[in-house]
Amino acid sequence: MSELRGSFGQARHHLVTRWFGTRDLHRLEVYESKAGGYTALRKALLEMKPADITNEVKTSGLRGRGGAGFATGTKWGFINRDAPGPKYVVVNADESEPGTSKDRYIMENSPHLLLEGIMIAAYAVGANQAWVYIRGEYDGPHRMLVEAIVEARAKGYLGPKPMGVAYPLDIQLYRGHGAYICGEETALLESLEGKRAQPRSRPPFPAVKGAWARPTLLNNVETLSTVPWIINNGGAAYVKFGTEKSPGTRLMSVSGNVRKPGVYEVELGQTFRHVIMELAGGPPDGRELKVFWPGGSSAPVLPASMLDTRTDMEALAAVRSMGGSGGVIAMDDSHCVVKAAARLLRFYAHESCGKCTPCRVGGDWAVRTYDRILANEGSQVELGILERVADGLQNGRCLCGLGDSAGWVIDSTFRHFRNEYEDHALRHTCNVGAVAAHA
Amino acid sequence: MSTLSEQVLDEIRELPGKYPQHRSAVMPALDLAQEELGYLTPEAMSEVATALDLDPGYVEGVATFYTLFHLQPIGKHRFYICTNLTCSLRGSSEIVERVKGAIGVHEAGEVSKDGLFSYEEVECLGACEFAPMMRLDHEYHYDLTPDAITARVNERRAPLSRAAKASRSRTPSVSEGPPPLPSPRAGRAKASTSSPPPKKRAPRTKKVE
Repeated sequence: MSELRGSFGQARHHLVTRWFGTRDLHRLEVYESKAGGYTALRKALLEMKPADITNEVKTSGLRGRGGAGFATGTKWGFINRDAPGPKYVVVNADESEPGTSKDRYIMENSPHLLLEGIMIAAYAVGANQAWVYIRGEYDGPHRMLVEAIVEARAKGYLGPKPMGVAYPLDIQLYRGHGAYICGEETALLESLEGKRAQPRSRPPFPAVKGAWARPTLLNNVETLSTVPWIINNGGAAYVKFGTEKSPGTRLMSVSGNVRKPGVYEVELGQTFRHVIMELAGGPPDGRELKVFWPGGSSAPVLPASMLDTRTDMEALAAVRSMGGSGGVIAMDDSHCVVKAAARLLRFYAHESCGKCTPCRVGGDWAVRTYDRILANEGSQVELGILERVADGLQNGRCLCGLGDSAGWVIDSTFRHFRNEYEDHALRHTCNVGAVAAHA
Repeated sequence: MSTLSEQVLDEIRELPGKYPQHRSAVMPALDLAQEELGYLTPEAMSEVATALDLDPGYVEGVATFYTLFHLQPIGKHRFYICTNLTCSLRGSSEIVERVKGAIGVHEAGEVSKDGLFSYEEVECLGACEFAPMMRLDHEYHYDLTPDAITARVNERRAPLSRAAKASRSRTPSVSEGPPPLPSPRAGRAKASTSSPPPKKRAPRTKKVE
């Protein structure tokens, strides 16, 4: 386990990270003896009906922590548990949203917490097999999960009769191979099926026709890792944290120009001032925060003047942004917004799967236009192109969210920092140093 | 005479049984091929296709989609340097420059003269609280400094015994850990050595009600 930078159970609201930092927590024996591990699974299998489990999750109001924020219990309810034939749980561990490292934090610290959540979900939706799709670069977390699965099998928690209940359960791992698009659920399924990871048209939704054309529940690592707490303590206890519409806590990985970058478990509804300035210590001495991405690079930026925005999804939607992946990137006043946006557009253009035209072509247009602007060859024309490209990428014109995300980067940086764009494009100057030099 | 060894081809033929549909075996199979050869040649992809009863064009289509499959020769040791936003805000361009200088190449993908190294600039690797960071072969390295890069390169150039001796004689710091421990848990041990051990454990004084 690497050094812990973030939450490890110091505060009452540290529900997921409660026992992080406990020595050898990754080992099943320690997870059980010190952290009360697998009590939720035992309770779910021995004392609860599958429908009760789903209802408990519905009561908790838990919303997906991958990016879209869909109601988890509702999603579980979409799977027809009694349909004949195999059903699957597929876990999205393809964490690759820029600025996001919370799923890695969970898998490295407490792999059994994730496994327990997966097993409960599988039982609730009537699946006997789960697949964890983990990004290929995560060698460490992959190894942790392999060892945890071996331990869980040896103990019988995975196998024909977990906790003595005749409900066979197994978990398999599948490694990604470096493609951001696999974080999109239908692209992930394509990849799991051994194809190029290009998103599918919906419907049919994965709950009806998912992995290998079977009903499939897709959840993020953090979402499932929150489930054991909810089963142990009840959904009603969970809603005591957070806000009415965004209950509970979430892990926010705070990175960039802050003194204490880390993965912090935050009660939803806290402000970004609390997250960035208090938990993460704010910008380095002598610097001021200029802008932050509140939920991964795809979440529209907010200027420092909006630090008092709350972290719940409704508050973020009200300022035309989103909670996204929980990755908070802070940038101080020594950095240029146009260069940062150019760097991100290069990312989205590179990661476009090429299936739909607006994203494939729009990304390249944006990159070339940013290149001209940053080479001091810009004019009003380039600014106009960027605005048109941003529009062309958004509002459902693309098959999946990748195009929208690229458009939001342009759109939101334009909205809040038009002066910096005009400095570059019209006056051929930059008011700040040359950072993000790779743009 | 095939490019891939019979042993690897046998392993590949076993793979489809692990999945609900045989096509899912294509990426694990390409992994095995790449592990043996270092990168994927057209012949190797064809052999994977034959072993899995798939069309060679299909297999190549999959291989070209994912960045972790290499279609050109690469160094024995690969630097995957994150240059996405967080890492670039914290100095990844310096890291890239030092890697290029230390291994003596001009651009990403170029293999050093001794065949030992190549580097790539990659997108976010999901360890942003440790930026700037990179993946070196199968291991994450955190809180990078240019000097740490030079040290990693020198360790891999020097004969192993010398590198081991050198690292024993100094205290491991945040950026300079001892060389990997040869144990079944090597990967994790390696990862942990690039950072100091957890400084403090959570005080267990209060319980969540």
